[in-house]
Amino acid sequence: MSSSETVVDPDKVRLWSEDYEGHDVISTRTFGFWMYVLSDAMLFATLFAAYGVLSYPHSYYTGPTPAQFVAPWYTFVQTMALFLSVLVYGWAMASLKDGNKSGVINGLLGALVLGILFLALDIHDVMRLVAAGITPEVSGGLSAFYCLTQVHAAHIFAGLIWIIVMLWQVARKGFTEDVVGRLISLRMFWQFQAVMWVFIYVFVYLWGYMS
Amino acid sequence: MSHGHVNPIDHPEVQMASRRGYMTGFILASVLMALATFLVSSHALPPFALLLAIMACAGFAVIAQVYFLLHIDISEHNIWNTVALVAFIPLFVITIGLTWWMFSQLYLRTMPMIPGMPGMH
Amino acid sequence: MLVHVPGPWSPLLGRLALSEIPYKNLILAPLFVLIVLVGLALVGWITKRGLWGYLWREWFTTVDHKKLGIMYIFLGLVMLFRGFIDGLMIRTQQMLAVGPGDNGIKAMGAIHGYLTPFHFGQIYSAHGLIMILLAATPLLVGLMNIIVPLQIGARDMAFPYLNALGFWITAAGAALIMISLFVGDFSHNGWFGYAPIFEMSYSPGVGVDYWIWTLELIALGTTLGSINFLATVVKMRAPGMTWGRLPVFTWSAVSANIIALTSFPCLQVALALVGADRYLGTHFFTAGFGGNLMLYTNLFWLWGHPEVYFVILPAFGMLGEIIPTFSEKPLFGYVAMVLATFAIAGVSWIVWLHHFFTMGMGPYVSTEFSVATMLVGIPTGVKVFNWAFTMYRGRISYTAAMHWALGALFLLLIGGLTGMMLSIPAINYMVHNSVFVVAHFHMMLLCIVYAVFGAVIYWWPKVFGFRLNEAWGKIMFWLFSAGTALVFIPMFMLGFMGETRRLDWPFDPHWAGLFDVQEFGIAIYVLSVVSFVVLLFVSIRDRAKERVGADAWGTSRSLEWLTDSPVPFYNFAMVPEINARDEVAWRREHGFLDIRPDHYKAIHMPNNTPVALYIGATLFLLGFALTWRIWWLSGIALLATVALMIWRSAKGDPGYVISAEEIARLDREARQKMPVDGGDTVPVGGFAGGQIMAYSREVSDQDRSHRGPKSW
Repeated sequence: MSSSETVVDPDKVRLWSEDYEGHDVISTRTFGFWMYVLSDAMLFATLFAAYGVLSYPHSYYTGPTPAQFVAPWYTFVQTMALFLSVLVYGWAMASLKDGNKSGVINGLLGALVLGILFLALDIHDVMRLVAAGITPEVSGGLSAFYCLTQVHAAHIFAGLIWIIVMLWQVARKGFTEDVVGRLISLRMFWQFQAVMWVFIYVFVYLWGYMS
Repeated sequence: MSHGHVNPIDHPEVQMASRRGYMTGFILASVLMALATFLVSSHALPPFALLLAIMACAGFAVIAQVYFLLHIDISEHNIWNTVALVAFIPLFVITIGLTWWMFSQLYLRTMPMIPGMPGMH
Repeated sequence: MLVHVPGPWSPLLGRLALSEIPYKNLILAPLFVLIVLVGLALVGWITKRGLWGYLWREWFTTVDHKKLGIMYIFLGLVMLFRGFIDGLMIRTQQMLAVGPGDNGIKAMGAIHGYLTPFHFGQIYSAHGLIMILLAATPLLVGLMNIIVPLQIGARDMAFPYLNALGFWITAAGAALIMISLFVGDFSHNGWFGYAPIFEMSYSPGVGVDYWIWTLELIALGTTLGSINFLATVVKMRAPGMTWGRLPVFTWSAVSANIIALTSFPCLQVALALVGADRYLGTHFFTAGFGGNLMLYTNLFWLWGHPEVYFVILPAFGMLGEIIPTFSEKPLFGYVAMVLATFAIAGVSWIVWLHHFFTMGMGPYVSTEFSVATMLVGIPTGVKVFNWAFTMYRGRISYTAAMHWALGALFLLLIGGLTGMMLSIPAINYMVHNSVFVVAHFHMMLLCIVYAVFGAVIYWWPKVFGFRLNEAWGKIMFWLFSAGTALVFIPMFMLGFMGETRRLDWPFDPHWAGLFDVQEFGIAIYVLSVVSFVVLLFVSIRDRAKERVGADAWGTSRSLEWLTDSPVPFYNFAMVPEINARDEVAWRREHGFLDIRPDHYKAIHMPNNTPVALYIGATLFLLGFALTWRIWWLSGIALLATVALMIWRSAKGDPGYVISAEEIARLDREARQKMPVDGGDTVPVGGFAGGQIMAYSREVSDQDRSHRGPKSW
């Protein structure tokens, strides 16, 4: 810190920034969205904390435990659908790098179709369980199981709507600053769902199956 | 503001996209998940070793995804995202870890684990 | 899947029926009439003055961080008043109902005192919820909203529209808790909720549902706000504003918003799971069926304790600005102060169990959380010593703002030391859920209120261009402090005498005298509220005499004092280059303070938008419809919210550009209006920003070519 003893030449001091260009809009936006993603991760962490507390043997009351109803290879197919959807979205972003509009639209469409496949597999799985009388009302453990898996599915559903909106915006507006910023945010959101799915798949489905 | 309009596609956060990186992340994560699924469904290991093995699979898959897909590294344009993530990770551990510890201690004292109880196996 | 609700339900109105409106209640019915009359008078007055257009253009649709901050503070003060009235009713009930001889006022249906137990439960629940989440939080968020962008030399927040959205969602939460007064009931389970009493079997009414959706809305609004603050500080600092030069208030805002961003999701999950239990019939927190009721308490305090520091840290930041200004010295130990702030923020994450030491999880867990809780005392002590050393050998001027800041230090000391007592599990077991705990956390929260009043007085001239009346500020301070002493010293004593919290009927006649003292204290609090109104009235009446220039106090230090008072809507005519940690003090020392830029550059500004207000309204409807289980309305409100978001996203906001010539003209006019030595020009408009709409217009292609960052 300078003190009053230091003599500052008033002709040389810079009081106002001549060349300040303003903040980087896209970077600010992606950083803001990344913080949202992290707070969403905190939401999942809290759900995992709840799941951990509610996955003791007594948590399942008299109902079934995941060991009795999880089908690992079926859920692995779901995993691949989601990973592929994320990969295809990545290709859309690589096409964006070259300004290739049809590449971006094809990538988004591919991600959309694979995402719908993931969701359809999930809904089918839930219907199978419900038909067998395995519902969230049965026990605290099942409540936690459903909550964690279906909150993830809800995120996928929101992401699918977002992909549709972006398809429309890319087709309609082209690559404006807004659209490009949103495509990057959606990329993080979509990839983040894959990261969360790794935890859910391993710690809810697989671990539940083996205990 | 005498500058002309700049194409947003030239922004570094667009240009960092990489087909090869995304493919690498995809392959690594998929192989690790397939391995975990195989280990679990074939009961190839004793329970505790199995748990450690699938935890390792999950850990490496997540690291691969975070690095190759989400571009979490220390380059100039990603450093703040990395800083934010690093600030969050201890909190995830605290949230889950302390809660599990707290309740395992509570259950030790309040929930007698009777063999043959419904749901016990 | 859906839980069957007891009592009538219709597809059209859900659980809503005329019988849900408490028109026979001797307190609520007259209050309702009074509020309707006052509301009608207000609407009539606004219509007569033709102010609707002005309010709509300048306030309801604004995205200006200063105006949103003022609206946050206004909301916070209104809710502070509501929470205060709740507190007054609690105190009056306990004074009236004490001892076995009391038979209650039969005309009001009370068994003891004048309130029924159910009504009393709603009052203390609403009091806690409102004071923490709808008074303290909006007041602090409002002050951060106004000051943080100014302190870092930014034109606005990073996401102005998101800022408006955060405010209107918070306002929707406030509206929901207010409407619960007159339509149905509010929760009677305490502000943090007791499991499993909030389950459908034990609380079949709509009170708990109101509580859930109010909290969810506020949590959403605050999370959005925290993202905005962090992005602003990380990405929008003026050139030269390095991390080592960031003012302490901004540092405290950064740490507080990190806490908010990380902890509010826990609250959202905890409440959503309660909602799942009540609406979908799950068993997260039920006593049977494998649920775990302590899990709720755990998840709630997982948010709840970091939240405590979310509200206290900005208050510490305010003290860090007020005390150096009125001691005419730089803050002692800047680096230690910042580190202490982050140490508190970090430790805040590993102490939450001290809210339920009595759960029974054994010595190991208790020890960890006990030690962690004691650790909080170290950085807090560092802060107290830093403030003390800042004042040591300073030229202290005892202004009204300084009175409040010093008062806050005393309260912090009492609250902190009692907190240290409570961190010891052995003591905690003795006083758990006694009013000793209540008195302890009121000391801490009042420390925040003191800091906020100090900050309002301190930054008022920056926002409105004139100083508040010093004499009335001090009168209010002394009345408020007398009230604090008279209410809370007896409360500490009652805690040791064994009074548990939330008693609608304190049975021990020996407590009567202390309850009377507390009631007297509350009466003095009422006087301090009156003196606050007088303070505002007198100050606004005499504003011409108290008109100030940019540097309102003459000894201020940080960057917000560089720009004009009131702050123009573009904040800085030219973005300042930062040369020192206390930039304004540095410029004053070197005689640069009055130098204005000699040329200007065009400024890009965001347009106003009503979409944030609309989304607030649809989310309010969603909360209301879910509370009353009106499914069709919930669906419509949710769809409308999503549709509005997509519509706004498609429309975008290209903003508008103010040319360099226009900025030069505005700056010249501001300079002419600015009194050099407290002249007597009455500020035009008298609020932050002046007329904005004159510049807000559709963007042209020429504007488009003028925008965007260039130097990646």
